[in-house]
Amino acid sequence: MTVLKYFFLLCGCVLISSCEEVIDLDVPSSEPRLVIEASLNWFEGTSGNSQEILLSLTAPYFDAAITPATGAEVKVFYSSGDVVLFEEIADTGRYRTDQFIPEIGANYILQIQYLGEIYEASEVMQSVSPIDFVMHEQTGGFSGDEIEIKAFYTDPIGLGNAYLFEFVEYNPDDLTIGVYEDQFIDGNQTFAYFADINIALGNQITINNYGLSKQAYDYLFLLSLQSSNPGGGPFSTQPATVRGNCINTTNPDNYPFGYFRLSQAHSVAYTIE
Amino acid sequence: MKIVSLTRVGVLFILIGISTDAMSQIKHTISGTVTDVKSNETLIGVDVYLPELQKGTITNSYGFFSITIEEGVYDLTVQFLGYTSQSIPVQLDKNISLTIQLEEDTEQLEAVVITADKETNSIRSPQMSVNSLSSSTIKQIPAVLGEPDLVKAITFLPGVTNAGEGSSGFNVRGGSVDQNLILLDEAILYNSSHLFGLFSVFNPDAIKDLKLFKGGIPARYGGRLSSVLDIYQKDGNSKSHQFNGGIGLVSSKLLAEGPLKENLGSYLFAGRGTYAHLFLPLADNKNVAYFYDLNTKLSYQLGEKDNLLASGYFGRDVLSLEDSFRNVYGNAVFNLRWNHLFSEKLFSNLSLIYSDYYYGLRLDLIEFDWKSGIQNFNLKYDFKHYISNDLTLQFGLNSIYHSFNPGIIEPSTPDSSINYEELTKKFAFENALYLEASKNITEKLSINAGLRWSHFTRLGQTELNVYANGQAVLFNDVFQIYQKATPIGLQHYKKSDVLARFNNFEPRLSASYLINDLSSVKLSYNRMSQYLHLLSNTSSPTPLDVWTPSGPFIKPQLLDQYAIGYARQTVDALYSFEVEGYYKSIKNRIDYIDGANLVANNAIEQEILNGRARAYGFEVLVKKNQGRWNGWLAYTYSKSEQQTPGRNNLETGINDGKWYRTAYDKTHDFSAIGQFKYNKKWTFNTNFVVQTGQPVNYPNAQYEYNGLTIANYGERNSFRLPTYHRLDLSAILTPKKNINREWQGEWIFGIYNVYGRKNAVSIAFRDNYETGDNEAVKTSLFGMVPSVSYNFKF
Repeated sequence: MTVLKYFFLLCGCVLISSCEEVIDLDVPSSEPRLVIEASLNWFEGTSGNSQEILLSLTAPYFDAAITPATGAEVKVFYSSGDVVLFEEIADTGRYRTDQFIPEIGANYILQIQYLGEIYEASEVMQSVSPIDFVMHEQTGGFSGDEIEIKAFYTDPIGLGNAYLFEFVEYNPDDLTIGVYEDQFIDGNQTFAYFADINIALGNQITINNYGLSKQAYDYLFLLSLQSSNPGGGPFSTQPATVRGNCINTTNPDNYPFGYFRLSQAHSVAYTIE
Repeated sequence: MKIVSLTRVGVLFILIGISTDAMSQIKHTISGTVTDVKSNETLIGVDVYLPELQKGTITNSYGFFSITIEEGVYDLTVQFLGYTSQSIPVQLDKNISLTIQLEEDTEQLEAVVITADKETNSIRSPQMSVNSLSSSTIKQIPAVLGEPDLVKAITFLPGVTNAGEGSSGFNVRGGSVDQNLILLDEAILYNSSHLFGLFSVFNPDAIKDLKLFKGGIPARYGGRLSSVLDIYQKDGNSKSHQFNGGIGLVSSKLLAEGPLKENLGSYLFAGRGTYAHLFLPLADNKNVAYFYDLNTKLSYQLGEKDNLLASGYFGRDVLSLEDSFRNVYGNAVFNLRWNHLFSEKLFSNLSLIYSDYYYGLRLDLIEFDWKSGIQNFNLKYDFKHYISNDLTLQFGLNSIYHSFNPGIIEPSTPDSSINYEELTKKFAFENALYLEASKNITEKLSINAGLRWSHFTRLGQTELNVYANGQAVLFNDVFQIYQKATPIGLQHYKKSDVLARFNNFEPRLSASYLINDLSSVKLSYNRMSQYLHLLSNTSSPTPLDVWTPSGPFIKPQLLDQYAIGYARQTVDALYSFEVEGYYKSIKNRIDYIDGANLVANNAIEQEILNGRARAYGFEVLVKKNQGRWNGWLAYTYSKSEQQTPGRNNLETGINDGKWYRTAYDKTHDFSAIGQFKYNKKWTFNTNFVVQTGQPVNYPNAQYEYNGLTIANYGERNSFRLPTYHRLDLSAILTPKKNINREWQGEWIFGIYNVYGRKNAVSIAFRDNYETGDNEAVKTSLFGMVPSVSYNFKF
């Protein structure tokens, strides 16, 4: 739950009589693995037919760029047995289609063939609660001098919902995510929280809300724990190899990273004024 | 008249077994208490012995001793570090009761000469793996921000370390922080640190005696696996009113003690508080981080055989950030004790204790208020029977009723989006009986053998989850990850129902063999069990971590420790040398599934797995006990690791079921503590530490997902932070005008981390906000930190 994250963030602030220094290190490297970013989002007010799947490879930690995984065959099967093919754009590792048919509550199967191996995943498209309204406060954040943004939504009671919020900034482009589940707020109107020292009056940000299954929530929660984690030090949890819902049916040891997610989504463009 | 030949025969008969009074030699008992002449404070661990017989004992935790020997005329020698020794002629023709008053030794410049035929008790005693620190030593060791810190002081002893700066608690011989039994006047404390380990909860001014058992733990202690930190507060000066205090850059303290009734009763009140938050360098942040604590003690001597003591401790840490966050936590303890002498050979202590640990968190940001805590009621009855000079028996019982509140979550404002939730309260009953015998089997061989029987009952609670096959954690074969099982039902119980029962016999054995007057070899074995566990999946505990009892899903932790050691001292007892090796193996060590969320979790059983742990190493300690220069060098080589294999062949376990280092595993740990009394005005202290860096995780790959750069990690804890080393200095100035003056003051100047090494507390991996490139960032806490404080007493 985000309580933990807030607390750790705080501890970072309290212990700021500390000093940070960028250092040079040799880190180990491992064999490249396939990374599947298959997030099929159906934004409200659109048909949801245009979808894109990104395939890439893992790289050594200090490398500047990520290698796309090109030449794969990407298909999504509907529960009826029909299939939609995703075509690659040049050699970019981006595979797209304009023919996807989204249906909330329906089950979909992803199948990827890459370098002679077959990868599969199965997920159900999740609904989302739309963003009711957005507000901001100028003296917010942990330190009281950041602009904080609250995006309000109402959680339906008793369904075990979870949400992914994206806060997209422009110039410079930056993305912050937050995942929420309804354990403490079931059935209530609540908000997703975002604060950043770099946003200012007059800026525009885009707020996206995606519905998540329980498994997708667990995956994204673990991922967000890892990316905001100091490696070592008193408050770090043990980092883990985060496994998603995709498996390699040809060679189980060569499992992929990433996740196959289908979400209904809602987007709001907000200008801070 | 000395009955020399009969004494020899008496020794022969004693060799056979338990000596009885049916012998023809008449025996009498010398018993009594040793106190400080200025304050009547009882003195713990004083050597009381008879040089002619080469026999003696040491005073117990209440200053009491008892020696039973044949009739005769003897010189009773009483000796204690820091005090002038006394030799008291005794004509033993009937039982004698003495109150011996020792005077503090103010002549500290010359080395104290100790007679050659004395064997200090520590060489002969079968007790090994124990270190004592006096309050004055603790106050001399330079510490960060000038605040003397008992917990930091013990980390300079061999075998004791911590998980780094900013981490709370301490680790003994590779054990985790919840495996230390911390006792303050016989009451259990749950948290030994204030403000993330920056300070300890113990006020050194209020402390009389401290012993840390790292192994060879006697049967009278139980409930935690790795160590016992047994601390006694001062009783209070029953002769005159005294005040003691200190003003420092970040904290201040004041202690008042005095007689309630002259020579019979005394009081002691000590308070301490910090204003450290005013110095946090971020001038534009309204952070608040402070603590305060209060120690109280009342004592009253009801009669020659009875003594009543009441002690209390209350401490709170407050952390808050603007109005967005407020965290309050701390221990509170109250106990009543009654010392009663059933005879001059049988000493007893009855304690009634209430202990409470509270933590509360309010997040105004999301309008969330959390309260959590653990309470216990404890009854202890301990007896020490000084049967004969060569045999002492200790026995007793310990009974604790525990009540756990894992958390009450409340909305903090009327229109908060948080729902009220109360995590199920848990209850348990922990009982133990023990019997311990200390026997000098021959002139050279002494043993301490004991057995503790412990019993734990997990009582009913309002709701308990029921799972298919009793499995709360499932392994998903397809994704090769552990997942939480969904309960198939809920069962309701009354408080008088029993959810689980555990029984453990804990044998304890230690022995010493005297090679000669100055050296001995020691061995020990102990089995310990632990029924309460601190659930924490971070490297170091946070105030949100919950203590949880054993039960249907959590088995008690069990430990076996084997240790062997050699102790030697020089003829004049000026130098002492100890080397010890140990091996520990622990069953039922709790481990957590990846991403386990332990906060506000009503079904913790879904996040934990059972594993095991082991630790081994050797420790070397060289001390110079007295003189103008004194101090010690300590070196520890150790290894501490854990393993959580899969529950069957199909499961991977944690870290692929391989052994991995614990977060506080430090291969080499060297400390040097020195004190130099330059003259009557100036004393200098120094510490130097060098330690292997803590285990840390390095990524072995990166990838992009959802616009984020994700680091991937391999095996746990396989890399290390850079080597940690640091030098601290302090100087104590005692102005000349102090002598013969009511108001005594002293100035303490200190520098922590003299050469300002930026020791790494953590290494984090992240992408740079501006360039987007990945980088490794080292965080360090303290550069060079000077401090000054003024201590006074009147």
